[in-house]
Amino acid sequence: MARPRAIESRRAITLILFAAFALSLAGVDWSDGVFRPRGVGAIADTLGALFRPDLSPDLLRTAAAAAWQTLVYAVAGLTVALLIAIPLGVVASGTIARSRLGAVTQIGSARAVLAFFRAIHELVWALLLVAAIGLSPMAAVLALGIPYGGILGRIYSELLQDVPQAPLDALRRSGASEWRVFLFGRLPMALPDMVSYTFYRLECGIRSAAVLGWVGLGGLGFQVQIALEDLAYSRVWTFLWVLVVMVVLVDLWSSQVRRRLAP
Amino acid sequence: MNPAPTAAYVSGSGRPRLTFVSGSVLAMAVLMLAAWTYIAFGQSWPSHGFFSGETASRAWSFLRDLAGVGRESTPAYLEGAEWAAAGRLALTTLAMSVLAAGIAAVGALLTFMFAARNVMVGELAPYRSPLWTAWFGVVRLAYALSRSVPELIWAMLLVFIFSPGILPGALALAVHNFGILGKLTAEVVEGLDTRPARALRTSGAGWFQVIVYAILPAALPRFITYLFYRWEVIIRTTIVVGLVAAGGLGMEFRISLSHFHYTTVTLLLIWYLLLVLSVDIASAAMRRLAR
Repeated sequence: MARPRAIESRRAITLILFAAFALSLAGVDWSDGVFRPRGVGAIADTLGALFRPDLSPDLLRTAAAAAWQTLVYAVAGLTVALLIAIPLGVVASGTIARSRLGAVTQIGSARAVLAFFRAIHELVWALLLVAAIGLSPMAAVLALGIPYGGILGRIYSELLQDVPQAPLDALRRSGASEWRVFLFGRLPMALPDMVSYTFYRLECGIRSAAVLGWVGLGGLGFQVQIALEDLAYSRVWTFLWVLVVMVVLVDLWSSQVRRRLAP
Repeated sequence: MNPAPTAAYVSGSGRPRLTFVSGSVLAMAVLMLAAWTYIAFGQSWPSHGFFSGETASRAWSFLRDLAGVGRESTPAYLEGAEWAAAGRLALTTLAMSVLAAGIAAVGALLTFMFAARNVMVGELAPYRSPLWTAWFGVVRLAYALSRSVPELIWAMLLVFIFSPGILPGALALAVHNFGILGKLTAEVVEGLDTRPARALRTSGAGWFQVIVYAILPAALPRFITYLFYRWEVIIRTTIVVGLVAAGGLGMEFRISLSHFHYTTVTLLLIWYLLLVLSVDIASAAMRRLAR
């Protein structure tokens, strides 16, 4: 397989990667030194507390409540994401259009909306939404739901497009309308992968929801921020370990689902 | 493509059975219901609860502020000097993202072979010692820890250690993506056809040689693809670590927002979107080149 062109392009990639990395290193301001004056001590504090989290019952109760709130945001955000992704994803796949022109306009406009939704990070959405509608759970849920809807919608549209065509043609020849072809052919074939990807996003959603706390919306990120302001590293790590356990558990769950859905 | 990928859905009897998957979907639905119930009734919020007339009018006036409607001064996004200043910040932000991707890639490349089950404790394992297995566990745990903690929280920890600038932000992004890239690459290795590796092994190559000559070349194309995908995510997240790590567009974004310079916020968002769009295009081109 060692075609000359493949080797050429590999060399080009290697060169580009190294050049880009070197250029970005030049972009760092090294004049102040790498570390803060007391930075090296902070490394010791941070790492020292890694395996000595504060496990007092009171703090664990706080952590459990924060974890629940983070889970609530993640799951509610995913609901909003589904409400965005299912209709827009179907339109963006262009599979329910009646004419060729209709398909092109549907794909183009729905894709543009989805791309805009997912281009902005959830925390930026959160900052904007808090500025717009105030500190309410709606801000957190929408901040998570909008970019996740953009991501899920794009994936859904691609999955709906990529199903095998032969069964669809069979349905069409037996007289089914495009809507029925979609409902009884396309959708059932794409559904396992759609469910699989949605479960994968749940894992990411937990992490994102934890971060939303930073803008003042509660949850694990908020608690970490408070603990950091007190420089209480052992409390910081309590919350971070709770987050790690939560992410690993959800990861296990979603990977089990995905393994069973894999073709 | 496989013409029958839906075997799980068309299997046998007409009545749907409760499988692990359908049970999980059901559990997800119950969780969603519980979450919304909790949001609606479970807590008292200081400001307004759900959408009301007041939130709608506040949102509307915020949008007018972003556009600079009804202000005397010229909106920032119509001033050339402001564009240039924000452009310099965008360039710094781009450098931050490349630095982050580079550091994460080096870290993942140096460790991924220790996290793949088949080359560590499976058929290609060099030793069967508990110490070696423990090392496998340590690398896996390091991946889990680094990717479970979000970039923003790493940045919050790292700003105490490093001088302000793009370096702490880049490192925070790097630590998080190190865990993701490492795990993904280890999974690629676990899915590899091990016959070439075993052939090398039987012809006398040591474990390290097997890694370098059989595993690495086979895993590298997928690794490059993942790296570019992660770069697309990293550029979106640079603005977020910039919020706390004092570098690039993120810091300026927060300052402008808290000083109510809303038209500057709009300008920064435009640069941010331009950055995201150009990285998406560049990454797609590089991935095509790598294929």
